[in-house]
Amino acid sequence: MNALRVSGRFGVGMMGLLLASVLFGEVQAADGSASLLATMWKWAPLIGQGFLLNILISVVAMTLGTVAGLGLGLGQMSPIWPLRHAAQIVTQFFRNAPWLVLLFYCILLLPYEMRLGGLVVAMPAWIKATVGLALPVMGNVSEIVRGGVQALPPAQWDSAEALAFNRRQTLWMVILPQAIKPMLPPWMNLYAVLIMATPLVSVVGVEEAMTLTRFALSAENRSELLLPMYLALLIAFFAYCYPIARWTARLERRFAVKL
Amino acid sequence: MLSRIAASLLFLLLTITTALAGVDDIKAIQAKGVLVVGVKADYRPWGFIDPSGAFVGMEIDMANEIAKRLGVRLEMVPVTTANRIEFLRQGRIDLILATMSDTPARRQAATVIDPPYYAGGTNILARKSMNFHRWQDLRGRRVCGLQGAYYNRPVAENWGAIIVAFPGVPEAYIDLLAGNCDAFVQDSSLIASTLVSDSAKWADFEMPMETFGEQAWVMAVSAANRDGTFATFLSRLSVEWHRTGHLIELEKNWGIPPSPFLKTMHEKS
Repeated sequence: MNALRVSGRFGVGMMGLLLASVLFGEVQAADGSASLLATMWKWAPLIGQGFLLNILISVVAMTLGTVAGLGLGLGQMSPIWPLRHAAQIVTQFFRNAPWLVLLFYCILLLPYEMRLGGLVVAMPAWIKATVGLALPVMGNVSEIVRGGVQALPPAQWDSAEALAFNRRQTLWMVILPQAIKPMLPPWMNLYAVLIMATPLVSVVGVEEAMTLTRFALSAENRSELLLPMYLALLIAFFAYCYPIARWTARLERRFAVKL
Repeated sequence: MLSRIAASLLFLLLTITTALAGVDDIKAIQAKGVLVVGVKADYRPWGFIDPSGAFVGMEIDMANEIAKRLGVRLEMVPVTTANRIEFLRQGRIDLILATMSDTPARRQAATVIDPPYYAGGTNILARKSMNFHRWQDLRGRRVCGLQGAYYNRPVAENWGAIIVAFPGVPEAYIDLLAGNCDAFVQDSSLIASTLVSDSAKWADFEMPMETFGEQAWVMAVSAANRDGTFATFLSRLSVEWHRTGHLIELEKNWGIPPSPFLKTMHEKS
């Protein structure tokens, strides 16, 4: 709770910083050029659209990564050893690879369009970037799933076996429903990390908020705009992530008592 | 006169080679109904965006003209110095029109369109108080540059400057204004247009060196379509633009100081 109060104050502090940097810029720009706030307001709709793309990328990457990661995580606990080992290697690989490098790989390796029979499916850069971000998410979700399942008391498995559940039934009907709760907070933390990583896609030419901010700065060609505009972007990300952080913390508290 | 004969001979040659090779990539573009051009979005006034997100600038005007002549829709993809050739190779764009200077390596990787539509050399933007006069003065100095720019290496190797490369022009300007860099090595035409665009802010700055290595700015299409109809068409268009003075007019419209290159090309043709 304390940490939350501190980060709340941090948000207020950032707002203060924005105001200060804008005021400082206004003093600098007193030579009759358009005011900083007016200029930033002019670009806000475009950069706002870019921010929606950040959110879209994060949601799609999280969905893809979670589905793939769930399969991989269960694979890590498979009784069939080749499958188990393969899943462990894949998990460790994607969990420990730099996100930016994976992004570059996806952008350069995936074709810009795919032919399925006679149908040509375009693969715009943002989709390739989303796949690139989904890979590390997959590796991390895999570990979250493994951790969540293994954190359950082994007696759960024994009891299910005593009730004549087979392995699949035990997993889906006994283990996973109980493991979801402890898995939720780290999963939400992962999402917060992911949304904050989405500006990485600007380096591969996707027109998200960060890229558009840079384009706007080039178009305005006013260096005093740089700090306030990046700060406004920081605040947008903070405003989006902070409620998620609060909610995660609340869930953590609630589940901590039960186990 | 001689150059005109040379130019017509060149065209004859181009037409013949095209006829022989017979790659009709214009047909392909017209069948698609859209021309995809890689442009700069962070290089005012050649290519940048307005608050609605639309691309504007001198090169964007040129791209519009090309699409109009082909009778297709224009789609623009923002590219950077580091990724534009890769995009062309992948087929994500049909044409590069993004402040690209002509180098032997790029001629290998893509089909460069002759004649060039613009040219600029390399110079630096620096505070007058730095008292730079010769390139040798940069030895051991921190010099801002752009990532992927071809002139970073000669400036570092020949004159011992320490290049600090940034992804875009605004970031480099901030560092320069803050005094973290002693100079910003850039295309001379960009520096000239910066100095006139906001004279108050850049009053203490100058472009002190002798411009070196004038490099032509070229359009480029895929290396595979070296003998294609599109390359021939663009080459003819470029000649026409020089002859009619269209490029000089565009340069003027976008507030770019007149470049000696465009003047020479116009007078020659």
